[in-house]
Order: sequence, then structure tokens, then C-alpha cells
Amino acid sequence: MSSESIIVEQLSKTYQVPEREGGFGAAVRGFFKRKYKDVKAVQEVNFKIEQGEIVGFLGPNGAGKTTTLKMLSGLLHPTGGTANVLGFTPWELKPDYLRSMTLVMGQRNRLAWDIPAADSYLLAQAIYRLSDDDYKKTYKELDELLELEPLMKKPVRNLSLGERMKVEIAAGLLHRPKVLFLDEPTIGLDISGQVKIREFLREYNKRTGATILLTSHYMADVTALCERIIIIHHGQLKYDGGIANLSRRIAPFKLIGVRLALSEDEGLGDSNGRDLSKYGDPVQNEEDAEKVYVRVKAEDVTKVTSRMLSELPIHDITIADPPIEDVIERAFNE
Amino acid sequence: MHSFKLISTFIKINIQMAVAYRADTVVNILLNLMWLGWELLTLSIIFSNTQTISGWGFGELIALLGVFRLINTMMVALIWPNTEKFNQSIRDGSMDYTILQPVNSMFLVTFSRITIWRIWDLILAIVLITVGINISGDLVTPLSIAHFILLAFSGVVIIYSLWIVLIALTFWFTKFDNNVTILHALIDAGRYPSTVYPIWLQIIVTFLIPIAVATTVPLQALRGDLEGWRIIMFFAIGIASFIVASQVWKRGLKQYSGASS
Repeated sequence: MSSESIIVEQLSKTYQVPEREGGFGAAVRGFFKRKYKDVKAVQEVNFKIEQGEIVGFLGPNGAGKTTTLKMLSGLLHPTGGTANVLGFTPWELKPDYLRSMTLVMGQRNRLAWDIPAADSYLLAQAIYRLSDDDYKKTYKELDELLELEPLMKKPVRNLSLGERMKVEIAAGLLHRPKVLFLDEPTIGLDISGQVKIREFLREYNKRTGATILLTSHYMADVTALCERIIIIHHGQLKYDGGIANLSRRIAPFKLIGVRLALSEDEGLGDSNGRDLSKYGDPVQNEEDAEKVYVRVKAEDVTKVTSRMLSELPIHDITIADPPIEDVIERAFNE
Repeated sequence: MHSFKLISTFIKINIQMAVAYRADTVVNILLNLMWLGWELLTLSIIFSNTQTISGWGFGELIALLGVFRLINTMMVALIWPNTEKFNQSIRDGSMDYTILQPVNSMFLVTFSRITIWRIWDLILAIVLITVGINISGDLVTPLSIAHFILLAFSGVVIIYSLWIVLIALTFWFTKFDNNVTILHALIDAGRYPSTVYPIWLQIIVTFLIPIAVATTVPLQALRGDLEGWRIIMFFAIGIASFIVASQVWKRGLKQYSGASS
């Protein structure tokens, strides 16, 4: 077997969506004769993911992320192309496949509300045919990482959002899946909650060697966890590669930050309010009022820097990659 | 084996859910005691006033009532709660998780909710059937009892299959909350032996709607009124309807996976 756990080739999904105008007449006409519109949710997407990789799957709402995850987990049949996960075609829904993967959707609950999670876990144990020993071993590991024990005895409805997410994720991992599809696993959580889930995923990946493909709206999730990201927009693959390379590929810009020296004859305010637009695009900076940033094309950095050094009373100067959020934002807006 | 283990786990979980809220539990126990009393009262009125209806003997009537209750139990204890859960899971998307379990999804959809309060209903049904058969006395032989059990089972399967088809339609129409109201309307017609109805209604009830198959036919077998080939036919219909239902379910899942987003 190859070391690739996910292989996606020319994967496409076109939905037929009923379409009608607003208003009563249109509603009546629509009842008798439906018009359908083709919506291309995913178009000929290709990628491969190695076993043990954590890959961030990014894109704005409606880009086709969830559709792709659903095809890979087996919920949706594609309209074109193939996918191979752990040697299986996902949408054939073979029990052996279902036992080796998991899909966790941050916005959907799998656990019964009115009873403690421990009881739902027993059901999962029965469904996945886990022996008592295996179940206990896995549970113990998950408990170590997520501190589940105090949450086990309360009905799920009494848990906080962050606690519930912990028990939901653990519920999806009791059968030790080799591939994890996580759709917005940190949605709605506060910062510390997000950090906990993130740390858990990293540790889980390290311990089990599981492959993780996750989508998230929180860029921090992705930058903290994933060395590689895949960006999808309007159903098409826009980028696939390392986070570090992304800025070079999509936004070959650098940020030059300068702090100006205060000379005797110039007022305190003037130095920072100085117009730097002739060097590049000035960038808003709220964190440090004394530092001014300009965005400059990567190839012009040396030239602009030396010009600035000679023309301005520079106190200090920094050259940095733009933050990943900005880069991805630009990728979406292209 | 695995199925039994799963069902027993479902029962355990449903017992826990049933007693999760204390006040609710107390009200449920009281309500069910009242229901049981009401049912027994109704039965005693029937016992004390009726001898035959349209040629049916007293014992057979009791057994018929038992079979009807059996089906009713299935409706109340399994079909209603699971339909509710099913419709909800389509709406909130948790159906996705059901499909991704390594267990037949039709099985999961059938047993994940069980109204355990209806256990007394099941007992009552079995008591009625046993008492009915006993009253019938010499009319029945061990063989006809075997036929009766076989066909009663087959009838339950037919109604179950009808239910599966009805809820599977939801996969195509997304919103089809009336799915079970239809079934309920059909079942109610089975409360009385189908020979009580005029001939045209009998035809509908026997052929268009297989409810009679589920209640009256087993009773006819019990009385020894059914020829062997009919028994085989009705049993075959039971098996066939289950196969059809499973196929419709599979198609439905495919439709669901083709359309949802």
C-alpha cells in the first residue's frame, strides 16, 4: 500500500437547485413546473494527502469545502471524478471503511441530549464492535488528552459549548479512525477552548499517526496545526502547498515596518504621520502607533529599503512576510 | 448476535432517556397506568356483551384484538418515536452521522428510539392472543397456531415495510412530515375483521392496503380457514415486502446523498 491515505482526482459535484422567483404567482407555477439550475459546488479538484499529515482546508463560505468533505467521508456521490481514501471508494460506504474514518461536524450533534455522554459512548462501542479492553484503552487515552472524566456523568445538555465539543470529538474517535475529517471543529468556542482542541488534535496526530483534514474559519487553527493548506474557492482548487510558500505564490509582498527617529526640528507627531505612500501601500497598524508599515512587492524590497534608509530618519526597520490572514484574504478576493 | 446486542443497548439507553426527567417519569407512569385501566375496562365490556361479530367466534375476536394490539404496540413503541427522530434528523442533518455508522442504517433508524412505557402493551397483546387461542379451544391445532404465529409475524413485517417506504419518501421530498399520519389512517381500518366491511371496501383493505393481511389473515389461519398455498402466499408477501422496502430505502439513501448539501 502506498503511504497516501487520500487521493482525489478530478472530483466534481454539481447540484441541481430548484430555482424560482419570489411572489405568489411564481410559487404556484413552481409547484407545477420546477426549474432547476446547475450549481457547480466542486469542480475537478485534485490532491493527495500522505498518511499522518494534517492539512488545513480553507475557503470562504460556499466555496465547496463541506461538499468535498462529505464526498470524502462517503455521504455524497460526486458527479464526476474519483476519490480513494485508505484504499476505499468512500461513497460505497463499506463497513470496513466506515470503521476506519470519522467525520466530526462542529455544528451537528451526534450525542443524545438527555443522557450523559458515557451512555452514548457505550452505544458507539456496540456499533463499532469494540472489545471492552480496546474501548477502555482508547477512552483512557482520550481522557488523558481531553480531560473527559468530569464531563462523563452530566447529561450532554448540561455541558458548556466547549465541553460538548470535547465529548463530541471524543465520540468520533472511540473507534480509533485512521482518517479524520473535521468540519469546523472549533466553531463557536472561546480562545482557550480553541487552543485546547488544537493541542489535542496535534497530540492525537503525533500519537496515532492519523491523517487529519480540517476546515476552519479560525486562521489560528490552521496556522497552529497545519504545515500544508489547500485553498478552494468557487469549487476550484486555488492553492495546495506549505503555508510558508503561500505568501510567495499568492501575494508576493513584504511588509516593511519603520520607526522614525525623532529629530529636534521635527515635531513628535509629524514623524509618524509622515506620508510614506511613495514607497508602497501604507498598511493600517493598530498595535503599535509609532511603527508605520508599507506593503512592497517582494522584488522591490531591497531598492525601497535603501531609498527609505537614505531619505528618512530611520530609528529601526523590519522586513516581514504579511500575516497569513491577509494573504488568504487576498487569495479569496482574486 | 450483534443485532441483539445493539437492540439491548438501545433499550438500555432509552430507559435512561425515559427516566432522565423525574416529573416526566412520574406523569408517564401514571398516564400508562390509567391507559391500562381504560383498556382493561373496554375489554371487559366487550367480554361481557359480545359473543360473535359477523360469524367470528368470541375467542378469535379476543385473539384478533391481541394481534391488533401487537401491531399497535409496534406503532407506538417503535414507529412513532423513530419517525419523529427520523424527520428531525433529516432536518438538522444528524442523519449524516447515522449513514456513516458501520451498521445498516435502516436498522438504526428502526430501533434507535424505543418507547419503553409500552412494554405493558406488548404483554397485554400476548395475553390477549394466548387467552383468545385458549377460548377457541378445539378449533385450533398446534399446526394452526404455528401458521398463526408465522402469519402474524409476516403481517408485522408488511406494516413495518410500509412504514419504511413511507419514511424513505422523505429522502425525495425532504419535507414529508405527514408520512406516518397516512400509515396510521390505514392501520385503524384493521381494528375489525375485514369481513365486517362491504365487499368493495374489503377489496381495498385486502389488496390495496395490506392491513388485513396483518390482522385478519393470521386469525383465519388460526381457525384453519386458510388453504396451505394461501399461507405460503401471505408469508411470501411478507418477505417480498421487506425486500422491496429495503430496496426503496437504499434508493432513498442514494437520492439523499445525491441531493443534500
